[in-house]
Amino acid sequence: MLSTPILLACIIVMISAAFVLIVQKTSANVIPGASKYTNRAPTFIIAGLPQTGKTALFNLLTTDSVKPSVMSQEPNVAEDYMLPTSHKNFKFKLIDFPGHDKFRSELLQTIKDSSQLKGLIYVIDSTINPKELVSTAELLYEILSVTELRPDGVDILLACNKSESFVARPPSKIKGALEKEITEIMKRKAKSLKANSKKSLSDDANDDDDDEVAVLQQNSAGFEFDRIDGNVDAKEGSVLKNDIDKWECWIDERAMN
Amino acid sequence: MIDQFAVFTPAGNLLYGYNSLNKKFSETQINRFVSEFISQPVKDVTSKFPIISTSDTSYMYHETKQPHLFLVVSFASSESIQLTAEAESVVVLATKLWESLGLNEVILDNISGKGKKNVHNFRFITEGASDQISKFGSYFEVKYDEMKKTSQQKGKKHTANYNKQVPVSAANKGKQSSKGKKENSQIKARKWGRDGLLEETAAMDESLDFSEGNRTASPPIAIGSDLESDMRNGSQFGKQNDKGEFLINEIDELLASNKEKSKAKPTTSSPFSFLQKHILGNKTISEEDLKTVLDSLKQKLISKNVAPEVADHLCNQVSKDLIGSKTENWTSVDQTARESLQKCLSSILTPSVSVDLLHEIQKRINKKDSSGLNDPYVFSVVGVNGVGKSTNLSKLAFWLLKNNLKVLIVACDTFRSGAVEQLRVHVENLAQLTDHNHVRGTKNRRGKTGNEYVELFEGGYGGSNLVTKIAKQAIKYAKTEHFDVVLMDTAGRRHNDATLMSPLKSFAEQANPDKIIMVGEALVGTDSVQQAHNFNQAFGKERNLDFFIISKCDTVGELLGTMVNMVYATSIPILFIGVGQTYTDLRTLSVEWAVNSLLS
Repeated sequence: MLSTPILLACIIVMISAAFVLIVQKTSANVIPGASKYTNRAPTFIIAGLPQTGKTALFNLLTTDSVKPSVMSQEPNVAEDYMLPTSHKNFKFKLIDFPGHDKFRSELLQTIKDSSQLKGLIYVIDSTINPKELVSTAELLYEILSVTELRPDGVDILLACNKSESFVARPPSKIKGALEKEITEIMKRKAKSLKANSKKSLSDDANDDDDDEVAVLQQNSAGFEFDRIDGNVDAKEGSVLKNDIDKWECWIDERAMN
Repeated sequence: MIDQFAVFTPAGNLLYGYNSLNKKFSETQINRFVSEFISQPVKDVTSKFPIISTSDTSYMYHETKQPHLFLVVSFASSESIQLTAEAESVVVLATKLWESLGLNEVILDNISGKGKKNVHNFRFITEGASDQISKFGSYFEVKYDEMKKTSQQKGKKHTANYNKQVPVSAANKGKQSSKGKKENSQIKARKWGRDGLLEETAAMDESLDFSEGNRTASPPIAIGSDLESDMRNGSQFGKQNDKGEFLINEIDELLASNKEKSKAKPTTSSPFSFLQKHILGNKTISEEDLKTVLDSLKQKLISKNVAPEVADHLCNQVSKDLIGSKTENWTSVDQTARESLQKCLSSILTPSVSVDLLHEIQKRINKKDSSGLNDPYVFSVVGVNGVGKSTNLSKLAFWLLKNNLKVLIVACDTFRSGAVEQLRVHVENLAQLTDHNHVRGTKNRRGKTGNEYVELFEGGYGGSNLVTKIAKQAIKYAKTEHFDVVLMDTAGRRHNDATLMSPLKSFAEQANPDKIIMVGEALVGTDSVQQAHNFNQAFGKERNLDFFIISKCDTVGELLGTMVNMVYATSIPILFIGVGQTYTDLRTLSVEWAVNSLLS
C-alpha cells in the first residue's frame, strides 16, 4: 500500500513534468534562441525563380518521370528521400519551394530553421539572356546572405536547367554573369534605405542585419563565388530530357558526408 | 465555350488538363491564374464559384479541402452570363465526377503515406490512380461534349420555336452537327486573335457570324447549370449518340450513386477533446473550436486599427485554412490559429513584385537616345490632404540625392496657397544638405531655386489644366537639362469627391509617370480601405497605383492596421514607411516587424 504523501508526490512530479514539456514546446516560438532549429533532419532545398522547373525537377527526382506541373503555391516535401545510388542508404528531406515572390520570406525562414542543410539546389533557366539575370541574382543574393551566416556556409548548386534549348547558355557563363550582377546588387543595397528596425527585438535584429552585410562584403574587386564559405558549383542539365546525372552526382557527394 | 479546364494541387502537380480545342494544354495560362491568385486576395464572390479575371481571360475556380485541390476553368474574358453559367456547370460536373470516382480517397491515402513507396522512398500523389484519372478524363470529355450539344440544341429549339416534345429529326441532327463544327472553327479564330498570333481583322465577318450564333444559343439558365436536368437530358442523348451512349449512362449512374454516399458523415467527440484543444494538441479543428478564438483575434485586429471587413476576411481565411486540419502535438487551437493568422498577414503584406527602384532608375539612365539624352524617371505623389505628400517627397528626394542622382522637384500643386513656397523651403534645405556652400535664397546657373543637383520647377497657381501643362514642361525640361529623376507633388484631394478625383486620370495619361505613389497616413483608420480603393480607381482601367508610402508610423505605435487595410483593398505593395520628422526618416517596410506589432 502506498501512503498518501507518496501518491501526492508522484502526482505533483507528473504534473510538473507535463508542465515543463508544454512550456518547452510553446516557448519555442516565444523565446528566441531557446530552440533555434525546427527542422533537424538532413535537408536539401530546391529553390529558384518561378518557371525554372523546380517542381518538375522535384518530380523527376522522386518519381523518375517527368510530370506536368503548374506554378506551386506550397512546398513539395519528400521526407526520408533516398537516392538509389548512395551507398549507406542515406535518407534526407527534399523540399521544393515555390518561386513566387510572396513565398520568399518562407523560403529564407526554412533555410534558417534547418540545422542540417546539406545543400541548396538553385534552379536557373539557362535560356535567359545573361544581361537579364537581375532577379535571379537578387534571389541568390538573399539566399546567400542567410546561408553565409553559418560557420561553413551552405553548398549551392546552380542547376542550369533547360540545357536542351539551343539558346541555353553554358553554366560557366551564367556563373560569371551572376557574380557581376551580385556585385551590382551589393552596391545598390549599400545605398538603399534600411528596413525599419524592430523595436521590440531591436538589438537582436540589428546584429543580424549587420552580419548579413558584413558576411558578403568582399574586397573592391567585386563579388566572387570562390571567396565565400559555401561551395558554389554550376552544372547544366535538363529536366525535360531527363538529363540530370550531374546534379544527382552533386547531391550524392553532399549526402555522403 | 470554355477554353481550358485543369485540376491541380497547390504544390503544383497538374493532375488533369483539358483543352477544349483539342490543342496542347497550355500550362502558361494556368500559371497566370495561380500567380494572380497568389497576389490578390479574393474578396466578393457574386457567382457560385469565385472568379479571377485578367485582361484577356477569366478563371473560375473551386478549391476543395480534403485533399487540397484546385479545379479551374478558364474562358474568354467577357461579361457574358452565358459563359459564366457554362463554366459554372463545368466546375459542378467536374467536382462530382472527381468525387464519384474515388480519386480523393486515393490521393489522401498517398499523402498520408499509405501504400508502397518507390526506390526513392516516395509515393507520388496520384500513385495508383492513373486509371481513374484517365477515366475521369474520358468521362469529363464525353459529358462536356454532351453539355455543349445540349445547350446548342436548346438554343436551336428556342429560336426556331420548336416544341420540346418534337423528336429531333435526322435532318435536324445533321444541321446541328454542321452548326457545331462551324461554331468550333469560329471560336478557334477568336482564340487566335486573343493570343495575338493572328490579327483579329482576318476573322471579322466570321466573328460577327459567331455573335449571331451566340445569340441564338440558349439563355443562361437553360444551359444546364442544374445537373439534375442535365442528367435527365443526358439519358435521352445517350440514345441518340451512337458513340458515347454506353459511357454516358455509366457516368450518370456513377453520379447518382455518389449522391447517396456523400450524405452522412458522423462527427464523434472524443472524451479528451478539452485537453486536446488546450494542451495536448493533435486535435481535428472544428468550427466551434475556432469561433471563440477567432472572435478574440478579430477584436485584437480591430483594436489595432484594422478595418472590420478586413478583419473578417482574415478570420475567414484562417478558418478556411484550419477547419478540418489537425493541430500539432502539444499545441493549442489558440496557438495554431495565431500562427495561421500570422501567415495570412505576412502573405498580404509581402509584395508580389520585387521593386528595386535604384536598379530601374539606373536602367533608364543608361538608355540614351541618339542625342545622348535620357528620359527622366518620373514619380508622382498623390494622396488625401495633409497626409504628408510634400514631406515624403522630400525624403525620397534626399535618398535619391544621396545616391548621386540629379533630382527635379515639380510643384504640381497649383491649388493650395503656399504649396509652392513649401516646396521651395524643402529644395533649399536639400540643396544645403548636398552642398554646404549653398547660400539659401540664391538661384542656380539656370536661374532656378536650388543648385546643380536639386532644383524646383514651378509654374505658379491655377486650374487643373495648368497642372498637366507644368508636368509636361517639367519632363521636357528635365530631359534637356540632364536630370535623372523627376518628383511631382500634386494637390491633396478628398477621395470621395469625384470633381477633385477626375483630373487625376488626365494627369496620369498626360504626364504618364513611371511610378504613381500614394501617401497614406497610419493614423487614418477604417477609412483607409476606401481611400486606397478610390485612389487606385481614379487613374482609369489602364493605370493603377504603383506603391504606397505609409507616413506617420511613429505616431501610432503598434496600431498599424492601416497598412493591412490599404494593401488588402488594392493588393498594391507598401514600399516605404515614414517614421519621423527628418529627411532620413524613411524606411523600407519590414513585414516581420509589422506582423509582430499587429499580433502583439
